[in-house]
Amino acid sequence: MATSSTHGAPPDSAGSFSSMLERIGICAALAIVLFQTLYPLIWVLFGSLKTKSELINNVWGPPTSPVLDNYIQAWQMAEMGTRIVNSVTVTVLSLAILILVVTPCSYALARLRFPGRNIVTGLVVGSMLVPPQVLAIPLFMVARDLGIINSTVGISFIYAASIMPLSIFIMRSFFMSLPFDLEDAARVDGAGRVAILVRIMLPLARPGMALIIIFGFIEVWNDFFLAFLLLRQPEVQTIPLGLVNFFQQYDSMWNLYFAALMITTLPVILLFVLMQRQFIAGLTAGAVKA
Amino acid sequence: MAVSATLTSKSPATPRVSLARRLGRSDGFVAAMMMLPAGILFALFFLWPFISGFWLSFHRWDGFSDPRFIGFGNYWRLMKDGVFLLALKNSFIFVVVSILAKNVLGLALALLLNRVTYLRGFIRASVFVPVTISFVAAGLLWAWIYNPVFGLLNAGLDFVGLASWKRSWLGDANVALYAVIVVDVWKWLGFHAVIYLAGLQTIPSELYEAARIDGANARRRFWHITLPLMVPVIFINTILSLSGAFVRNFDIVHVLTQGGPNHATEVVITAMVKAAFTNSQMGYAAAMGYALFVLVGALCAALVYLLGRTRFKV
Repeated sequence: MATSSTHGAPPDSAGSFSSMLERIGICAALAIVLFQTLYPLIWVLFGSLKTKSELINNVWGPPTSPVLDNYIQAWQMAEMGTRIVNSVTVTVLSLAILILVVTPCSYALARLRFPGRNIVTGLVVGSMLVPPQVLAIPLFMVARDLGIINSTVGISFIYAASIMPLSIFIMRSFFMSLPFDLEDAARVDGAGRVAILVRIMLPLARPGMALIIIFGFIEVWNDFFLAFLLLRQPEVQTIPLGLVNFFQQYDSMWNLYFAALMITTLPVILLFVLMQRQFIAGLTAGAVKA
Repeated sequence: MAVSATLTSKSPATPRVSLARRLGRSDGFVAAMMMLPAGILFALFFLWPFISGFWLSFHRWDGFSDPRFIGFGNYWRLMKDGVFLLALKNSFIFVVVSILAKNVLGLALALLLNRVTYLRGFIRASVFVPVTISFVAAGLLWAWIYNPVFGLLNAGLDFVGLASWKRSWLGDANVALYAVIVVDVWKWLGFHAVIYLAGLQTIPSELYEAARIDGANARRRFWHITLPLMVPVIFINTILSLSGAFVRNFDIVHVLTQGGPNHATEVVITAMVKAAFTNSQMGYAAAMGYALFVLVGALCAALVYLLGRTRFKV
């Protein structure tokens, strides 16, 4: 067990034998950690560039001569084009609905005085604690009654609704942290509530919006469960569903399968690397605020 | 400002302003309009399913013909259904093992990351990568690691001379559930570690220095400073992993084993989906959902109560 010291603290006694041993221990532990997270992904990357026979003969290492053709074949066989279009449509639409619905509501809860405000806030927190999965069956029935099974627009509304409580909670605390002075000044100048929200509060609340967008993106883009329940026809299905179908249909074409996995995972990993800070903040937002 | 607005709207000295104008000015009306869209979504996709599903759970229904009211029939049946009880047991094993692993390993990893002074950004990002990829991708990736013929794990065991440990990891009923849990822990470890890391960085370094001067060794510093001060963070991490582990494991089980072999990895959510869509027992499936909801709710409440009490003692 490594001891804890705050970051940047100098090592206790540099050069002594025990501190050197400790350093070696830390390095070794770190190597194991990095190996177990990164090597499986690198392994898939290697596998996606091998021929099927090389995959069996050369399990561990990099490909001897990369076969890019795997990617083209996987793209065609998994109907990746349609899947990506569907996933992008559903994600963009859900996030647009989410922002349109969450911003005014959380602003009202944070800044306006009205009877029943605490009750509404209580409802938001309460529904945060009910996981949408336990409602799966009734949700399916409701979607059927509304005629939105196999509808990318319909499922977008359901996604927006399922991440709405947490998003309202995050945005509300964001609005509450903004100074009142600006709002007062605008009020004196004759601006109405809506004008204040759109012109003054929204630009200030941009970091909070980035947070809920990233959180929502991960939830919706990666979701399999709701899509599995509600998108039953191949032409409306999203990437995760396509991956599972491809896996179950062609379960002997490992190299193509790895290529499909790479095509769908790499964009998310790249996006994550570019926006690491916001990603981590977005995913841990609920915890930090609690 | 909000205060003065309510004051003016309530004060009796504005008789000449028309009702419509007063409504337009008062926060109540604006607030209602602002919350209306969220209210509609909430009513349609939360309240309606929540209530209609509860009603449905007292019926026998195949999804097409007329539902038949059977009172608590579905709930009585749950208590005698071997597959459901097995799924419940598996869910509990899943929850206990994954919470323990995520918290112990997550804290250990955070302590490790806190000691590292070089490449901090890169290392933190690498640890977090599995959190961002989908359960489907993680599951399919591990399906190949576990593959009995070409999988990385068996090849690795061969390599280090433990060939006798080789097995069909997802096909062997004794280990399949734990193999699935490993994937869940692998995916979420970075998430919990980052939360622990944020917690560790709030502990003032003076405490460690003082303890060091008093002659406390590393282990004592961990037990008497780090751990007590981390109780709130442990609490958050446990709650997060508790609700997640119960209900968010459909994807991973479906991808890796579909509940097999012979229900060895069946969890409540997969059993529920099978009841609804394979066996067309909508009412029964809904009852499973509510039974799970009540169980998770009670467990969370108990945990909040217990941890709340220990927190006062520290």
